Amino acid sequence: MKKKEILCDFLLWILFAILLGLTISFSFLPLLSVNPFQALTVMFSETFSSTYNMGNILIKTAPLILTGLAFTFTYKANLYNIGAQGQFYSGCICASAVSLALGGKLPGPIVILLAGMAAILGGAVVGFIIGFLKAKFNANEFLISMMSTYVIQYVMQLLLRTSLQESKHEYLKTDYLDKSTWLPKIIPGTSVSLGIVISLLVAVLVWYVLYKTSLGFRIRATGLNQDAARMSGISPQHQYMLAFAISGAIAGLAGLVEINGMQHMLLTGFDTQIGSYGIGIAILANAHPLAVVPASLLFGFLQVGGTALGHSTDAPASVIDLLQGFVMLFVLMSFYFRRKAELNKLKKKRIVTEEA
Amino acid sequence: MNNITSLLARAFFMSTPLILGALGEVIAERTGMMVTAVEGIFLIGAWGGFIGAYISGNLYLGFLLAMVCGLMVALLYALTTVYMNQHQIVMGTAISILVTGFCTFFYRVIFGIQTTPLKVEVLSTIQIPILSQIPFVGKILFSQNIITYLAYLLIPIILFVMNHTALGLTLRSCGENPEAVDTAGIDILKIRFAAVAVAGCLGGIAGAYYSLCNVGMYTSEIISGRGWIAFGICFLGNWNPVGALIFGTVFGVSEAIGVYVKSLGMSTMPSELFSALPYVLVIVLTVCRKDLRAPNKLGQNYVKEN
Repeated sequence: MKKKEILCDFLLWILFAILLGLTISFSFLPLLSVNPFQALTVMFSETFSSTYNMGNILIKTAPLILTGLAFTFTYKANLYNIGAQGQFYSGCICASAVSLALGGKLPGPIVILLAGMAAILGGAVVGFIIGFLKAKFNANEFLISMMSTYVIQYVMQLLLRTSLQESKHEYLKTDYLDKSTWLPKIIPGTSVSLGIVISLLVAVLVWYVLYKTSLGFRIRATGLNQDAARMSGISPQHQYMLAFAISGAIAGLAGLVEINGMQHMLLTGFDTQIGSYGIGIAILANAHPLAVVPASLLFGFLQVGGTALGHSTDAPASVIDLLQGFVMLFVLMSFYFRRKAELNKLKKKRIVTEEA
Repeated sequence: MNNITSLLARAFFMSTPLILGALGEVIAERTGMMVTAVEGIFLIGAWGGFIGAYISGNLYLGFLLAMVCGLMVALLYALTTVYMNQHQIVMGTAISILVTGFCTFFYRVIFGIQTTPLKVEVLSTIQIPILSQIPFVGKILFSQNIITYLAYLLIPIILFVMNHTALGLTLRSCGENPEAVDTAGIDILKIRFAAVAVAGCLGGIAGAYYSLCNVGMYTSEIISGRGWIAFGICFLGNWNPVGALIFGTVFGVSEAIGVYVKSLGMSTMPSELFSALPYVLVIVLTVCRKDLRAPNKLGQNYVKEN
């Protein structure tokens, strides 16, 4: 099959999986005496009713692109960074700490730049530690990355109760960041910040690094066949550490986008599922860095649509979680059925040629 | 002294679900299947257990429903990985996300919006006659609930089946040399499927332990990584039921310490760090243990040639 045909085929299967997920999850809505068709209409009409709401999709999409890319990057090295949530929180902590400490004292753009660097570093350090433990001690990387998420969550709670807590010391959150450290808004009439641009740039950058540089080649070679890579002089251990550090850095940057671009403060228990959505997005995108962007847009739309659904009907926003779960499941299943269909086609072809 | 007794009793109490989950994981992983959906299985167990107990008013029916729910999720996981050959880690994560949405949505469907959390009476302890009278040890080991006793009873049973029966040999061979099992005419896929199903039943009960024995209610954060800790205990225990017991107890102690420090309520204490102790322990111990011997084909799907 030609490349274009394969892509079309792939998209058809994905589309089918999404529609099936939508149908099944929405068919549960009558249990709450909500008409599923009405719910669907509300989801679309509310979301696209104003520029502001459409902007919200982009706001939700921006960090999702980054966590999706974070999972994709290690996936290419045949590693599983299922703890992007922790690296994201680490980035959040660093970004907000720097912005709080320097906001108002230095010019805004410089503070944002420093906060960005801190967020990247914060995520990268966590990622690097996981990669290091994998490389040096052959530790189980997905177990460790999952555990690190919970450790960082508790560290964040501790910081929010002590050194980072707001000046009144009442709630578990920080003060509002200084306005000069907020990411500038780019579309008038919405709250869309520079974050989406950053995310898109990173997506292109990741694609470039993975497919056009020797670093990316080494990482992909390690992922495809670790032994073959070692024979040709690539040290898999180095690639583990590099891939995890870069993956962590990307997830950390999502912290900046979320803190300086949207929340403008750090609080406990926000975006608790951004890491797992990242995995879902990477699955949907078949782990291609550029395909992560439309997949994130879909998830972003579902988030906004889910909120709208919760506001204007009796349907809870959790129906969206259900929907996303089903979509992920069906996309993974579709890989199996697509492969089976392909094999059947090949078999038929062989029979035909043998007969002739 | 009294403090230490109650702390240790609490530790054994908290280690039960971890041991149960880890035992299920041991059975499945010996056949080469990592049950990475364990977090989802725990969660649906907690959810199903609470719903069953609240509606029927009987805790044991709750545990039964939890077992069935855990089994269902495990079957879905086994179907997609064993028979549809999808990647185990990716599939497990996807199923866990689906379960999270499922539980939240259907909790709402069943109970509507509640202003105060619904509660059930937690499972009572059973004092074993005579043994519970022994000073110190009696309070710690022999004043637990029935699930804890069953979990301990399960360990020698699994150990015996694993090491001294033909079934155990087949199970272990599936993880070490699947080709040989296949050549011997045994349906390896069926065996793996069944092993995951057993892990699902045990995981479901373990999850229900949190909602029915620990807090007596259900929240969506009730599991928060405990499934993954059970998964880690299976690794640390070297895929051995006795190892699962030892490390399950270690984590029970660390969790009890976290709860104890938090209950002191001293704002100067970094109690969060003590709560994080079990998670830190998983990381540190996986790095420290060098003598682990994983099943040869752990995490690799077996594709039959045709």
